Amino acid sequence: MLRVTPEDALERVRSALGDLAVEPKLNFGAVDLTCTRENLVEVATKLRDNDELSCRFFSFLSGVDRTGFTVGEGDDAATGELEVLIHLYSPVHVISVTLHVPVPVEDANCPSITSVFSGAIWHERETWEMFGIAFQGHPNLVHLYLPEDFEGTPLRKSFRLPSRMTKPWPGAKDPEEAAAGGGR
Amino acid sequence: MTTGPTVEPVDASEVARRAQHEAEESFGESEPRLDTEEMILNVGPQHPATHGVFRLLATIDGEKLIHAEPIIGYMHRGYEKLVEQRDYRQITNLVSRMDWLSGINNELPLALALEKLMEIEVPPRATYLRVAMAEMNRILNHLMFFASFGAELGAITPTFYAFREREDIQLALEMATGGRMHFGFFRPGGLKEDVPAGFFDQALKGVRQVIERLNQYEDLLIGNEIFKQRTIDVGVLEKEVAYSYGVSGPIARGSDIDFDVRKDDPYLSYEDFDFEVCSAPNGDCFDRFWVLVHEVAESAKIVEQAIEGMPSGPIMGKVPRVVQAPKGEVYVRTENPLGELGMYLISDGDRTPYRLKIRTPSYSNVSALSHVLKDTYVSDMIAILGSFFFVLGDIDR
Repeated sequence: MLRVTPEDALERVRSALGDLAVEPKLNFGAVDLTCTRENLVEVATKLRDNDELSCRFFSFLSGVDRTGFTVGEGDDAATGELEVLIHLYSPVHVISVTLHVPVPVEDANCPSITSVFSGAIWHERETWEMFGIAFQGHPNLVHLYLPEDFEGTPLRKSFRLPSRMTKPWPGAKDPEEAAAGGGR
Repeated sequence: MTTGPTVEPVDASEVARRAQHEAEESFGESEPRLDTEEMILNVGPQHPATHGVFRLLATIDGEKLIHAEPIIGYMHRGYEKLVEQRDYRQITNLVSRMDWLSGINNELPLALALEKLMEIEVPPRATYLRVAMAEMNRILNHLMFFASFGAELGAITPTFYAFREREDIQLALEMATGGRMHFGFFRPGGLKEDVPAGFFDQALKGVRQVIERLNQYEDLLIGNEIFKQRTIDVGVLEKEVAYSYGVSGPIARGSDIDFDVRKDDPYLSYEDFDFEVCSAPNGDCFDRFWVLVHEVAESAKIVEQAIEGMPSGPIMGKVPRVVQAPKGEVYVRTENPLGELGMYLISDGDRTPYRLKIRTPSYSNVSALSHVLKDTYVSDMIAILGSFFFVLGDIDR
């Protein structure tokens, strides 16, 4: 094992990916970067195959609905869109890489990385049913957890728990909030 | 000009030789000529070897598995949605129920993630107690799989041995937390309360007993000829496949991967302790089980060291009355008994997480089952399923 410092890891990611990586930075010791969905497969392949990085351990792939998440302050404040979130790890150099791939809500699809990491098969099925992000090139995009005839995308912020709409949640953070319908 | 087939003159002995040769060849080909049909074999969702409601849809040709598809979701509880509606302190008790064999370990990454975002300093006594309890829980988990794997292969005795050894450690955890499975003891900033008098003696008694009796386990299963026959070279998981599926924990370490978050990306105070990462080279059922059993001894060693070096002092850091993480994101991972447990926490500054992605070890491990089961035999299926040491609640979340 050739442990590298976080700063060195960031530098290696920068030189390996060049313009493909948007705003690579360090976040709690892990390299954090954004890439466009068009470049996703290329970025994932480079992260895996570059000897300086060799992020071969596929940690997870999931989604985030950032439509309720404000970035910036005042007039610059804006809400985000959907996002595919990938975490890779290099067992050789001990480098953690978090990959953010923005996906617009109106056109929720993203290329599949199952050709790069076979383990993404289940993760992409889960993200598809929970966030409604379709993965192009996935061998078998069907429900994983939910019943076949389930409608809706539960982990999007627009999907509200039905029991929450009719009855205040007994575990709401404060009594006033419980009376008002409680939280989100 | 066309040429017909040339006819060579042959003598009688040559004809006889050819006839025999043809007969031999057709005998060798007799298998494909016997038409076999593919059949679907449904295992579960209620099957003793699946440790819960897990279904395996196997396409078999004779005794061979052509394709096996694990079907999950019978126990899906939607944790990732539920946590978005709850206060951070309520989530502790939710995540404790993911992998019900290692409750206290599940609570750890959540506490660590919050401590990172909120910049809470955890007192050393709390850290050492966390290590000791997490490792005690790891022993409990591993002994359970020692018992169940034996039982799946037809050996009943290991169950009684394992449960006898579990009881003393279980008792120690019960003294401290009041619970036997779902402890709810790790809070952001430290622990719920300090451990009672007699906890350390009880814990030491438990782990020393385990260390002392571990040799018996070796003789009982690992050295057993029948056990070897059923597990060696069965269900091989190759190293690169394990990486690409994100397989971790004892299953990955059975495939020549020495990846252990406690060593690679140390958290708590694991750097202070002397322990080995067990790994085995072949990736078969036997090696996975070998790693599992040998990790028990390493965990026991850590518990002993942690208790011997236990600092005194408070068990709770400075935590505000309302647990409210500032805006930010953090990924925290810990070595759960079954592999890497990770939590990606995104906070928008509220008292509930904006998003909490939970990466559970059993989920990634079991996703590789399909690959491993391909082209194995029905008689080996249960051994392979058992050697993947999974907990359904951890897959379905």
